[in-house]
Amino acid sequence: MKRPVLSAAAAAAALTLGLAACGGSSDAPGTTGSAAGDDAPVTLTFTWWGNDDRAERYNQAIDLFEEQNPHITIQGQFQDFSNYWTARATEAAGRSLPDVMQFDSAYLREYAGNSHLLDLGPYVESGAIDLANFDEGLVAAGSLNDVQVAIPTSTNTLAMFVNPDVLAATGVEFPDDGYTWEDLNRFVQDVSDADVPTDDGYKIYGSGDYVATFWFFLQHLVQQGTEPFTDDGGLNFDEDDVVDWLNLTADLRAADAVYPIARALALAPLGGFTVNEVASEQSWDNFLAGYSADSGKDNLEIRPIPAGPDGTSNFFRPSMLLASGANTDHPEAAARFIDFLLTDPEVGAIFGTSKGVPADSGQRAAVDAEDGSVDAAVIAYEELVAGTGTVAPPIPVKGFGTIEATWKSLGEELSYKTITPEQFAQQWFAEAELAVR
Amino acid sequence: MSPTSVPANAPAKLHRPTVEQSAGLRRQARSRSLGRSIVFHVATVVLTVVILYPAVWMLMSAFKPTHDIVGNVSLVPHDASLANFAKALGGIGGVSFWTFFTNSLVLAVGSVVGITISCSVSAYAFARIDFPGRNVFFVLMIGTLLLPFHVVIIPQYIVFNRLGLVDTFVPLLLGKFLAAEAFFVFLMVQFMRNLPRELDEAARIDGAGHVRIFASIMLPLMKPALVSSSIFAFIWSWNDFFGPLLYLKKPDLYSLPIALRMFVDQTSVSDYGAQMAMAVLALVPVMLFFFVFQRYLVEGVATQGLKG
Amino acid sequence: MTLTAAPPTAGPSTPPVRTRRHKGSEVRAGYAFLTPWLLGFVLLTAGPMIASLYLAFTDYNLFAPPQWVGLDNFRMLFQDPNYLKAWQVTGIYVLFGTPVKLASALAVAMLLNARHRGQGFYRSAFYLPSLVGASVSIAIVWKAMFIDNGIVDRMQQAVGIEGGGWVGDPSRTMPMLVLLTVWQFGAPMVIFLAGLKQVPLELYEAASVDGAGPVRKFWRITLPMLSPVLFFNLLLETIHAFQIFASAFIISNGTGGPARSTLFYTLYLYFRGFQDFRMGYASAMAWVLVLVVGGITAFFFRSSRLWVHYSGEGK
Repeated sequence: MKRPVLSAAAAAAALTLGLAACGGSSDAPGTTGSAAGDDAPVTLTFTWWGNDDRAERYNQAIDLFEEQNPHITIQGQFQDFSNYWTARATEAAGRSLPDVMQFDSAYLREYAGNSHLLDLGPYVESGAIDLANFDEGLVAAGSLNDVQVAIPTSTNTLAMFVNPDVLAATGVEFPDDGYTWEDLNRFVQDVSDADVPTDDGYKIYGSGDYVATFWFFLQHLVQQGTEPFTDDGGLNFDEDDVVDWLNLTADLRAADAVYPIARALALAPLGGFTVNEVASEQSWDNFLAGYSADSGKDNLEIRPIPAGPDGTSNFFRPSMLLASGANTDHPEAAARFIDFLLTDPEVGAIFGTSKGVPADSGQRAAVDAEDGSVDAAVIAYEELVAGTGTVAPPIPVKGFGTIEATWKSLGEELSYKTITPEQFAQQWFAEAELAVR
Repeated sequence: MSPTSVPANAPAKLHRPTVEQSAGLRRQARSRSLGRSIVFHVATVVLTVVILYPAVWMLMSAFKPTHDIVGNVSLVPHDASLANFAKALGGIGGVSFWTFFTNSLVLAVGSVVGITISCSVSAYAFARIDFPGRNVFFVLMIGTLLLPFHVVIIPQYIVFNRLGLVDTFVPLLLGKFLAAEAFFVFLMVQFMRNLPRELDEAARIDGAGHVRIFASIMLPLMKPALVSSSIFAFIWSWNDFFGPLLYLKKPDLYSLPIALRMFVDQTSVSDYGAQMAMAVLALVPVMLFFFVFQRYLVEGVATQGLKG
Repeated sequence: MTLTAAPPTAGPSTPPVRTRRHKGSEVRAGYAFLTPWLLGFVLLTAGPMIASLYLAFTDYNLFAPPQWVGLDNFRMLFQDPNYLKAWQVTGIYVLFGTPVKLASALAVAMLLNARHRGQGFYRSAFYLPSLVGASVSIAIVWKAMFIDNGIVDRMQQAVGIEGGGWVGDPSRTMPMLVLLTVWQFGAPMVIFLAGLKQVPLELYEAASVDGAGPVRKFWRITLPMLSPVLFFNLLLETIHAFQIFASAFIISNGTGGPARSTLFYTLYLYFRGFQDFRMGYASAMAWVLVLVVGGITAFFFRSSRLWVHYSGEGK
């Protein structure tokens, strides 16, 4: 009576564990591919992260593609950056990743390492994805262990954005080019001291708490002459480095001189800068387009980031890539869509520099960079940066995406003052050790 | 519970009221009764307003343009419009609202069918058939009511994953067909225990086996319990979020709760109007069931507590 | 329990035999009818429980075979600040939410029990939140009500409390969620109401004659007579409270924030198990929860002997 049930349960458990142990190699059902001929109707799932502005542009591009390829329908979906990766993670486990997805180098190692990404090599070789106008070095940024798992769409570098109208209201001047991190802090404190409200009655701030962004920390390390990651994929810095960085804005936090986190979170996916309550914000240079659209301002300024001992030490990195899920049922159609997004000049015109400066020279030429436009400003900025000398970009280690996300959430706690910089460093390293393994 | 028993710590002596005392009590009762009545009605009305306010606010906000919603305590829309609903019905990510609706419907109806069949059959075994191990199994079944689900979801997910059943409806429906919802089995067992056995016995004497007794006698008599269970099963499946979150990956398979979440993710943060409209649409079937079948629902819940 | 009827041809001197030996056909029928449940129990409950117990001692990420790590997961759990925070968050929610919810349910049930008119209407009206409360739709509405400059913010400012949305304030997200669960008091209320109806009026009348006031009547009559129902509600609501997920997920936008103030146990388990795919770790979490809930359940059952009064025959 009871015993048969117990043994049955044990057997069921053993079966479960047996299934679990049967390694994780892709029994991907999709590899039989679409042999059904070129014109069979196909639906591709396509995901990206971004704001409404980017969604609009993608919808334009998708419409264009569907016109040219009537038998292919694109089902587009988007999330904000953090939710994007949690969605992909669960899809990866269920082997139902999208047919085409916007990708970030932070997650490349993890996904490629678990065989989640389609090898695009054959399609590049056959010319289905035409990379003739690409810089070879850039293409290599999407290749791991000689497998082309993703292809960069564009490049970017860090920049400082300033909202001149908001700034003018406070009467404070932004430091001149060549300014340091200390100069930046002084600026932020000055703006806070000015205590000027917007028309809606919210106080204007100089900046948010910028230490909460992992990439800025890495940029700062690079400026100090430290390579953030070792060749074998480990971390080349310690808790003290983290604490020193976090303490850069300790005084500002203590004086409540940085944009209040509660309001920032309430405004998400917008932020203090894009609702015109913050005078400056650091980010990737290609964000100018999105920021301009969200804030409704067409005169946002793009300036150099704070300098370290040897200047700004900017680096160019692939701003984003395109990849395809290994489980896709339609690799040929996916490749065609990827080729379209990467090389079609019209796409270049649609996106301008909003995703970064296009990797394909044909698309670069098509970017409508008339004077005074957002795209012109970004391109000019990149030329400026290239002129002052750049360094090689840090290559994200395995688990980079996770540690980046952990940094951000710990940053929130720091802003809420529920943890100290020391606790931040300790907890972050505990997570990082596990993630980078 | 027998009405004549008395709790151990009740007042020690029970006096029977005298005639005068009764009359006096009645007079006092009458004059208090008007006051009490007023208090009662005021209290219940206020309570009702407070309790139902969020639901009504949700409904009314769906008809208002967004800027009119956020801080606006007043319920009535200034410029009522259907624009929000149009946006919600426009679908997301290329998938239409009706696809989500249909998915939810398939899941809910599937749940109802599964539960009705598997739980009634199991309940019959527990309530009407005597076999070795029955009591142990009954205790185990009740035990599953008290078991946090966390301890089974991971292996379940692993198995479904390996069998390639993630991104299908199977993981969400299998349990319903295997009586994995102890709540309904329990409900039906309680109900059956209250049905007189004479009918069974008469049928048995006539030579009917268990199958016949179950199908021709029990099932028809059990209609109220079956209806209650079906309604709960439908509503719980309709509102289920965790299961679909785990197992439904492609947007064209999403059920309404998941679609609603995707909708919120993708609408501009301040577009509360559209969010309210979609939230309302997602709840429409539940509200319908509630209005039509409230009696069954409430009584189904009430009978639970009676046997402790 | 069915009696084995004496065969009709037996003489009057043969008394009906009450036998524990089960008829073969009964056994077969029993198991036949129980097959779906048995399958379900083995495949979906017992089997997975044993499997997850094993997994709790391993490192498993779904892609490579499980690696045995012994007690490592448990050791790491108790040093994991997120985990400890999850217990804190869940604990506060259960400790505050459940009693307040039950007290409200009882209070309203007693209020409704006082009069018969309109009882049906009010009973249904108050029950409605229970039906929809845990849904995504309501979570969205709740969030919209508690944001900066939202309804609740306006009202609290009107009363003189400091302004600000509750959603973005780590110290106020818990009260917001407690309010959400208390709002759903309808289901336990309906059960209390049914229980109250069964308390014989004579008891109250006799107590009145003795001069007992309403408070005394409550403690000496109502509560003891309701104790089985109270026990039932307490047990179920407590266990239910540990399993909160959808509301916390939606209101925190899938983050458990702000500042981990909504990092409920189930949410954290979901993050670790189904976003990070550290399934061994998550299984360890699941089993710790089972043990704790089991302990609480056992405690309730044990203590019930002291305060739960079953009148008349036992179950």
